[in-house]
Amino acid sequence: MGSIVECQHVTRSYGSLIAVNDISLTIEEGEIFGLVGPNGAGKTTLIEMIEGLRTPDSGSIKALGLDPTKQGDELKEKIGVLLQATSIQPDIKVREALKLFASFYQHALSNTEELLHTLSLEDKADSRFKKLSGGLKQRVAIALALVNDPEILFLDELTTGLDPQARRNMWDFVEKTRAEGKTIFLTTHYMEEAEKLCDRVGIIDYGKIIALDTPRNLVSNLGTESKVTFNIEDKDIDASKFEGIKAVSRVEKGKDGFILYTKDENITLQELVRMADAQKFRLSNLHTESPNLDDVFLTLTGREMRE
Amino acid sequence: MKLRGLWQLAWSEFKLNLRNPAMVFWSIAFPALWMSLFGAIASEPIPGFEYEGLNLANFLLPGGIGLVIVASAFIGTPINLTTYREAGVLKRLRVTPLRTSTLAFGFTLSQFIFMVLGILVLFIIGKIFFNVQVLGSWAALIGMIVFGMITFLALGSAIGSVVGSWRTAAVITQIFFIPMLFLSDLFMPISMFPDWLQPICRALPLTPLNTVLRDIVYGVPLDNLWQLGIMAGWLVLGSVITVKFFRWE
Repeated sequence: MGSIVECQHVTRSYGSLIAVNDISLTIEEGEIFGLVGPNGAGKTTLIEMIEGLRTPDSGSIKALGLDPTKQGDELKEKIGVLLQATSIQPDIKVREALKLFASFYQHALSNTEELLHTLSLEDKADSRFKKLSGGLKQRVAIALALVNDPEILFLDELTTGLDPQARRNMWDFVEKTRAEGKTIFLTTHYMEEAEKLCDRVGIIDYGKIIALDTPRNLVSNLGTESKVTFNIEDKDIDASKFEGIKAVSRVEKGKDGFILYTKDENITLQELVRMADAQKFRLSNLHTESPNLDDVFLTLTGREMRE
Repeated sequence: MKLRGLWQLAWSEFKLNLRNPAMVFWSIAFPALWMSLFGAIASEPIPGFEYEGLNLANFLLPGGIGLVIVASAFIGTPINLTTYREAGVLKRLRVTPLRTSTLAFGFTLSQFIFMVLGILVLFIIGKIFFNVQVLGSWAALIGMIVFGMITFLALGSAIGSVVGSWRTAAVITQIFFIPMLFLSDLFMPISMFPDWLQPICRALPLTPLNTVLRDIVYGVPLDNLWQLGIMAGWLVLGSVITVKFFRWE
């Protein structure tokens, strides 16, 4: 499998604001690549340059071996795009929209009905777009992006504003689409989503890619410890008692009870439970918190996610 | 020129216009009602009228055609354009292989079809209830109608390109539309108005369309053709503004 998108030293400014600052990036065929970052970090600018909607000030982009600026018409035949927060004609019916969009392509799917089925839109085929819920609109937008059987699917803010159930439907759908051999490039500001879906994640902030790896590597490279939190109700036990447990580096007693910081939560948990059994005290509200992409993001940028 | 998607786009936009109550009312129902209500005042041939056999509906017919064209071009085009831009529809179309020229042509064609429908309704009602006639050349009539359509569509897209939101577009189109109803000789002769207003009346784009269409319907010599220059001026102005100010987002 080769690279399917290649960006080299891509820069784009709007006035004095550098939206995308010297980004180099490769996307491999068949992967789900996620670009995460806060609003205004440059995600949309970058994805729209690859789609050929915007022109870089400098640097080069190749998508499917084509230059999006000079060979945009050819490229548009082969990509599927879900734009951030865009709509189609409000009064158009779902089935009409699919037929209309299919008519724009040289090689569109011959059977748009099947697409309705894939996205469970049969019941809504004769509904007007404006009457649909957010989740359904997003499903229609995906159906439209797939109408030309694209090689790459660009999904900008796929699940923003969707309820949890609709969001999970979208995730299932993305995984199914990848299983069909398509490459997917998505942007999100939900770390959880990137962690769940993506093979590789690029973290972007102030127009620069500040980290790029598999979600697992990003988290483990961070070297942050897990937390084991619990209460003890029936005995008064001193915090120092837990300091000897394996892998524990530090113990705190906070308002939620005890917090053990550990490099290996499995070992720590086993020993903690054994200790409770042996010394006859009862653990309550036991839970663990492992570091996740959120922590990676916060550590790298040193600030809260905006929005 | 690659025209893939042209017919589908034009037909689909035509259907969307049919789903828009404002469009159906102002550019199909209103001109027909206007001609019928005034026409019913005197449906018999006007005695002593210099054009033998013509009645009031015949006098109103050219204005009705003009109203269909103006309403469709001034309500449909700017409001569709601004709505589509605001909602990101134009941007969405732009990431498909649809060419810009095909897009522009498709939108224009959809309005053409809509206007033809409105004009057909006028003729059918006029024929059945008022026995309207065209004494001059049908070729000239059709040519003049097409010229009018192009001119007003250029003006409509100019408004849609300059104005940002559809709310503003709706207000601006009314500012143009309502005075034209009264000032373009549709039913009130321009000579009724004060001297200072008359040149303004004559400079409006609907006045020459109406005058020349009426000459054709009456079958009189077309000695007002110089007025087409006024329309051509508006056409050029509308096209230049559209090309200069058109925005995708």
